[in-house]
Amino acid sequence: MATQDDDNVARIPDPDVEPSPAELAHARRFAELVDKTLSGRTPPAMSADDRALLEVATVIRATHGAVELAASKQRAAVEDALRQAIGASPAGGGSVTPIARARTRMRRAPWIVAGTTTLVAAAAIAMLWLRTPGGAGRGNPVARRAVPEEWTSRPADSLVGPIARDHAGDAGARIDAIFADRLDGFRTRRLARKGKP
Amino acid sequence: MKSVILGLSFAVATSLAACVACSGERDASPPPATRVADPSEVIDQDLMIALAQAKNFHHKSKVYMTDGNLTAATASVRQVLSLHFPTGAPEADDVRNDARALLAKLLMSQGQLDEAMRTIDEGLAPSQRESFFVANLYTVQGEIHEARASAFDATGEAGKTSGIDERRAAISSYDRSIQINERLQKKLLEER
Repeated sequence: MATQDDDNVARIPDPDVEPSPAELAHARRFAELVDKTLSGRTPPAMSADDRALLEVATVIRATHGAVELAASKQRAAVEDALRQAIGASPAGGGSVTPIARARTRMRRAPWIVAGTTTLVAAAAIAMLWLRTPGGAGRGNPVARRAVPEEWTSRPADSLVGPIARDHAGDAGARIDAIFADRLDGFRTRRLARKGKP
Repeated sequence: MKSVILGLSFAVATSLAACVACSGERDASPPPATRVADPSEVIDQDLMIALAQAKNFHHKSKVYMTDGNLTAATASVRQVLSLHFPTGAPEADDVRNDARALLAKLLMSQGQLDEAMRTIDEGLAPSQRESFFVANLYTVQGEIHEARASAFDATGEAGKTSGIDERRAAISSYDRSIQINERLQKKLLEER
């Protein structure tokens, strides 16, 4: 009884025979199929023969080094192998974090933390700067609002007013007025603070 | 190395967070009732001592003037210029400018016009804030220019041109004084 293998052997042409047009057409169609598969456009349906041939073609291409696994897949495969070697269960489905990647993360961790804290610091400085628009002290209206105006050291313009030419040399009278006014503020402040300077 | 970077980063972040927290507390506190005033902005003992000394020097000068001792009066007013006031006190500029105006007038009365002008210029040069006292300096400067013009006129035809120039300078000084006074008065009216 003849088997299928016998039929295939019978169909195998002699290597020295010129290819028939049907063979050439079949070869061209299969070449297109291989190209599509390599470019990620594998047809959803194909004959069992074509599928078998396609798998063989893929294996042959891989063994010639034309195909390489992605670096992550390579690492994952090595990790799995190492895990199995030490008795741990292999991780499935690519969810394993390779040791090398974890090391990379560990190496980057200080810089990530440093970058984050630098951003926090910059934000804090910006907040401080925005919250205190000017320096506190003499002449700063923000600071001066905190105490009564008569307690503060300030220009004497409002007290003295415009100086007429006839009184240009009356500095003695003006210093009396300035001194009396400031003494009043000084005393009021001291009384309010119960004698504390 | 890693631990150093981590440590430094956390230290910086923690201290800045504390600073922000402190500033938040400061802003949240009721300002007028409980806040201790900044010593640099209130009338303190140092300011009162300086003002009292200025007052005394002026009184002393007045006594000398009553006696007709203009040299001693001038020396007494000069001492006001060397008084030590608290740093940044606006009263310091006002009192010194007023003393300079009086000093210049005393020097004028003694015929020392160039020295009087130098006294005024030394007061105007560093003044960064317009005040009625600065305006008064310009007024006295105008008077000095007028006095110089009169002196040139007394020399006859030779000093005629210089006399005209001095009068123009006097007008310019008076104009500046008027402008400052107007600006300040307007500002004070707006603040009321």
